[in-house]
Amino acid sequence: MRSSLVRQVLFLAALALAPGVGEAVYFRHKISWQSAVLPSESVTVDQARTWGRNVIWVDARPDEEFARDHVPGAVSLNEDRWTELLPQFLAVWSPGTKVVVYCSSLSCNASREVARRLRREAQLPDVFVLEGGWEAWLKTR
Amino acid sequence: MGGVAKNEMSKTPNAQLPTVHVQLSADGTTSNIKHPTSSTLWRMVDLIIAGIFIYAGAIKALDPVQFASDIDNYKILPWPISVALAFYLPWLEIFCGFALVVRLLYRGALSILTALILVFTLATIAAKVRGLDITCGCFGHASQNWSFPAHLATNLAILAALVVLWVSNRSPKPL
Repeated sequence: MRSSLVRQVLFLAALALAPGVGEAVYFRHKISWQSAVLPSESVTVDQARTWGRNVIWVDARPDEEFARDHVPGAVSLNEDRWTELLPQFLAVWSPGTKVVVYCSSLSCNASREVARRLRREAQLPDVFVLEGGWEAWLKTR
Repeated sequence: MGGVAKNEMSKTPNAQLPTVHVQLSADGTTSNIKHPTSSTLWRMVDLIIAGIFIYAGAIKALDPVQFASDIDNYKILPWPISVALAFYLPWLEIFCGFALVVRLLYRGALSILTALILVFTLATIAAKVRGLDITCGCFGHASQNWSFPAHLATNLAILAALVVLWVSNRSPKPL
């Protein structure tokens, strides 16, 4: 009876592999196995600086951290107050402007999530995640 | 009490005996006595649990990129593993859900789903203990704003239903 149960578990586990592999192939250009952010959707501080005035910096960190310090001219847009802050952000955004979203450090997820929502929900093009986040900005300031 | 009833019956051999429904399990042993109503009830629990996992799996299979991100938010696994699981787990949930519906590979599916919900629950608790503000990703965007108690309560309800299905000791079709 126990061997029958193990067989069933193994069979189901193996069965799910096939569509899983198929999906991995199908989505191969939409997700990176190395990094949570696609290389084409991330930007370094130096790269972003070369864009000059054609960029809006978006601070995805919590309000308190934004209030403490932030990239000059940055707009606060975090998920805690998304519906409230999004219209304020859209008011300063204009077509053709690049958007660079940052959060605390390399390991934070907020910038990735905010960038994804800006692409999906606000349908904005040219939204990038800052590699290394606020910590990387501080090092080059 | 059972002994008294037995004595009464032996005294009146022609007495009308109550009818009971006895089901044989897959290995041929008499497992338990079932009332048709309880069978229908278990079947409904089966279908509800199956529906939940098929729905949750389908939503995540449609957007594996988001699901990989949701897994990564728990900060337990390296990113490549999160990606692999994002492609694999939704299909495992879907197949196990269908196994419950058609009652093929039934116990295997129950085992996998119980293990999955246990892992999800422990990961949720671990994330809370570490102070992580996570999106559970259980049901895609539908669960985006779930609070920790709502998330935990849902997981525990599903776990309880799975345990009930385990102990109901029903007779699945053989493999």
